[in-house]
Amino acid sequence: MENIKYIGEHLLPGQLGHFFSILAFVASTVAAIAYFNSVRAKEELKKASWLKMGRWAFIIQAISVFAVFGSLYYIISNHYFEYKYAWQHSSRDMEMKYLLSCFWEGQEGSFILWSMWHSILGLILINTTKKWEAPVMAILAFAQICLASMVLGIYIDLPGFEYRLGSNPFILMRQDAPDSPIFQNPNYLQFKQFAEGRGLNELLRNYWMVIHPPVLFLGFASVIVPFAFAVAGLWTKQYGDWVKPAMPWTLFATMVLGTGIMMGAAWAYESLTFGGYWAWDPVENASLVPWLTLVAAIHTMLAYRSSGHALRSTFFFLIISFVLILYSTFLTRSGVLGQTSVHSFTDLGMSGQLLIYMGIFTIPAFWLLIRRNKHIPKIQKEESSYSREFWLFVGALILMVSAIQVTFTTSIPVWNKLLALFGLKKLFNLEDFAPPANPVFHYNQIQIWLATVIGLLTAVVQYLKYKDTPKGTVLKKLAVPTLVSLLITILIGWFGKIDFIKYGAGFLVAIFIMLFASVYAVVANSWYIMTALKGKMKSAGASVAHIGFGLVLLGVLISSSKMEILSIDSMGMLTGYFTKESGQNSRENIMLPKGMPVQMGPYFVTYRGDSVGTADRSKTFFVMDYERKEHMEADVKERFTLYPDAFMEVRGQEGITPNPDSKHYLTKDIFTYITAVPKKGVVTDTLPYTPHIVKQGDTIFFSRGFMVLTGLKTPPVQHNNYQPEPGDIAVGAQIQVHTRDNREFRLQPIYFIRDSSFQSNVPDTLGQFSMAVRFTRILPNENKVELEVKESREPMDYVVMKALVFPYINVLWIGILVMIAGFIMSIRQRFRRS
Amino acid sequence: MKKTSIILLVVIAACVAGMVMMVGDFSTYETFATARKKEGKQIHVIGALDKGKEVIYDPAKDANYFSFFMKDKSGEVTKVIFNGTRPTDFDKSTELVLTGSMKGGEFHCTKILMKCPSKYKDEQTTYSANKNS
Repeated sequence: MENIKYIGEHLLPGQLGHFFSILAFVASTVAAIAYFNSVRAKEELKKASWLKMGRWAFIIQAISVFAVFGSLYYIISNHYFEYKYAWQHSSRDMEMKYLLSCFWEGQEGSFILWSMWHSILGLILINTTKKWEAPVMAILAFAQICLASMVLGIYIDLPGFEYRLGSNPFILMRQDAPDSPIFQNPNYLQFKQFAEGRGLNELLRNYWMVIHPPVLFLGFASVIVPFAFAVAGLWTKQYGDWVKPAMPWTLFATMVLGTGIMMGAAWAYESLTFGGYWAWDPVENASLVPWLTLVAAIHTMLAYRSSGHALRSTFFFLIISFVLILYSTFLTRSGVLGQTSVHSFTDLGMSGQLLIYMGIFTIPAFWLLIRRNKHIPKIQKEESSYSREFWLFVGALILMVSAIQVTFTTSIPVWNKLLALFGLKKLFNLEDFAPPANPVFHYNQIQIWLATVIGLLTAVVQYLKYKDTPKGTVLKKLAVPTLVSLLITILIGWFGKIDFIKYGAGFLVAIFIMLFASVYAVVANSWYIMTALKGKMKSAGASVAHIGFGLVLLGVLISSSKMEILSIDSMGMLTGYFTKESGQNSRENIMLPKGMPVQMGPYFVTYRGDSVGTADRSKTFFVMDYERKEHMEADVKERFTLYPDAFMEVRGQEGITPNPDSKHYLTKDIFTYITAVPKKGVVTDTLPYTPHIVKQGDTIFFSRGFMVLTGLKTPPVQHNNYQPEPGDIAVGAQIQVHTRDNREFRLQPIYFIRDSSFQSNVPDTLGQFSMAVRFTRILPNENKVELEVKESREPMDYVVMKALVFPYINVLWIGILVMIAGFIMSIRQRFRRS
Repeated sequence: MKKTSIILLVVIAACVAGMVMMVGDFSTYETFATARKKEGKQIHVIGALDKGKEVIYDPAKDANYFSFFMKDKSGEVTKVIFNGTRPTDFDKSTELVLTGSMKGGEFHCTKILMKCPSKYKDEQTTYSANKNS
């Protein structure tokens, strides 16, 4: 094997990349040690020289990380499929913009991205933190060692201990499977397997997937900064000084992490891969939880700065936030979520390493917090119940409860592992726990109350003063916004017809209370800007963020309680016929034969045909015409066309990967997506006649509707195909046909006896449905007749689609934008002050 | 005792109580045999598609009816009915996690979670197949 000289490989970028990933590992180790020594050193001179060394080592590691990023991107963008990473995650037919998505589809690429953000943040911290540089950077450099180890791909082969440290993204296909006979051929790159890569998962080919991961990882990366400040404070025993410089970083981390999460929600919403913007999927939950604790940390930091209370809880919240980031990394990358989420990363067998990464930060940080607990300054005097700091603390606790609940259920697979590990499972004869059968309701029924309390606190607490508030003034100030909010809540409830009774009346009451709380948050904070701040927007960052938060709660509440499925199979009569089960559950898919309008809510939808995309040949577009009208013949009030698309049977995949198209209104979005199409090239022949013994008034169902035998007529109504002869006994079956698209037809198959012996019949057909009915027998004793129905099912072009309406989703998006704006205002305000 | 400590205790107590209640909401992994004893209860069953038996999805007849047979971990094969469309790449799935309940000997599921083999592994087997040819 070693002697083969392979043709056409590009080895240089891979070698460079691997070299730099090793250099990054070494340099970050040097940086961590140097910064660590700088903190420990007693003499100023030694301190300074260690600091200088740490600084340079960190700069070298930053350059190395950029070089690793550059090498891997170069390999992907040049389609060097001899590299496993390029082959696994990219392909030639992809649009340019998705090359970046390929980069972070895999675990290795996303670790490099994370590490790159750490490097950039580190460079900024070196220049801005002054006396905090050494301890903060020591912690950051330590994290860089861990991240660099994830992409090392080095085999440790000691006697009795074998371990692969990290996964190298620069590995070649032939190194990954050296035993494959194909690699005996020096010219293996000529084979068709290597002409094209496997490509990016179709679901990720969305512009949100270009931008969402970098923002989310910037969020992940920036959480370490306030954590590092907090730990540095404990470590250097300067317990309170760090809060001020850490404040803008905490705000920044919270803003970016929140934006990243909501960009993911926007992607989930547009691609409907989760059935909406939020599905309480473990992957989503894992990144939401640290955001909740970060928000709690911001509020305790504020309380500390103005009152001196809540310093210990600030330490706790900042440490737990970073620990939860590591925990979420462990959950999504170790494969432990396997049976509960399809959206996690593919398992690379690195769970041991991920656990160490988590433990190596968690244990020392908490150990330090416990050991220094006694020394953390605290105020002996109790805070007053009328003080702002007291309620900020309560709010932070509620956020923590919310985080605990989400973590508790998300961690079910972890509990199973732990119970098994400690032998408790055997001891109590327990079975494995599974996630709740209805996860959305499971989370909502608890979170709705917590969100309500948070909403109310958001509205009220700003009106309280630090230390103590003169009694009575608060009520006076709050009177107007409270009344206005009550009025708005009643109006929304009245006109919005909030009647979500799927989970009972109790839940509806909860919805109304939360509706009030979110309206209250918006109104009271707006009122606060107008009255207390007198419209001074410079210092209104917090209030603006709170208004945004209130709008988010409102948007979530309305859009999810009023979400509607348009494509309910509308043929009530048919429910329960086709199969006896089909009527029992929601029937959310509807079949549209080509060219036939089908009613969905207020719309008549017609499938016009399909066409292949120009930019991406593997994509097929479906043309769906929407017309809003009262009934079939009425005037069209509104007309639009949607073009949902789907990736059709790409790379040997069976079935389609759909991508919805939507019509956006100010107050609602209408989504349409294709859920199934007929298999191309499969010819189903005409079905045989199916006999039905019926009596007058009986109903016969067929695939596109039903028919009722209304009567028998002798002699039959004049019919083209039947020429009566004298002596004929002829009977016409009067059949009323009702189709799924609400159209009526009449059929009259005829049965006759000629010359008292010869029996025959004249079938009647419904051309557009290629359906024929014949009247074959009369059973006089039972007072019944036999009708035979035949349907030709080919050629028929159709699509199966789903259509959904999300109302007032824009409230949610606007809320997020307002919230981000509020964060930016606060960060600017803090920077100006410091 | 300080007010914050009291609140902290109350919150901790509420969390513990809440967790105990939440565990009641958790579902369980069952086999078809144990599921049959809990008819109507929402549970999870893990198994694999029985590729020898028929898989029915005919949108022309009913766009919301999909049925197949699954072999659970104990090896029992049972008919499964899903009110929806046939998931993409269903035939290639190596493992299925179904959420739903047993009704009259058939399993009615509301959610199908599929595990597919990594396509990369497929390619690996193609390499080895090349050797023999």
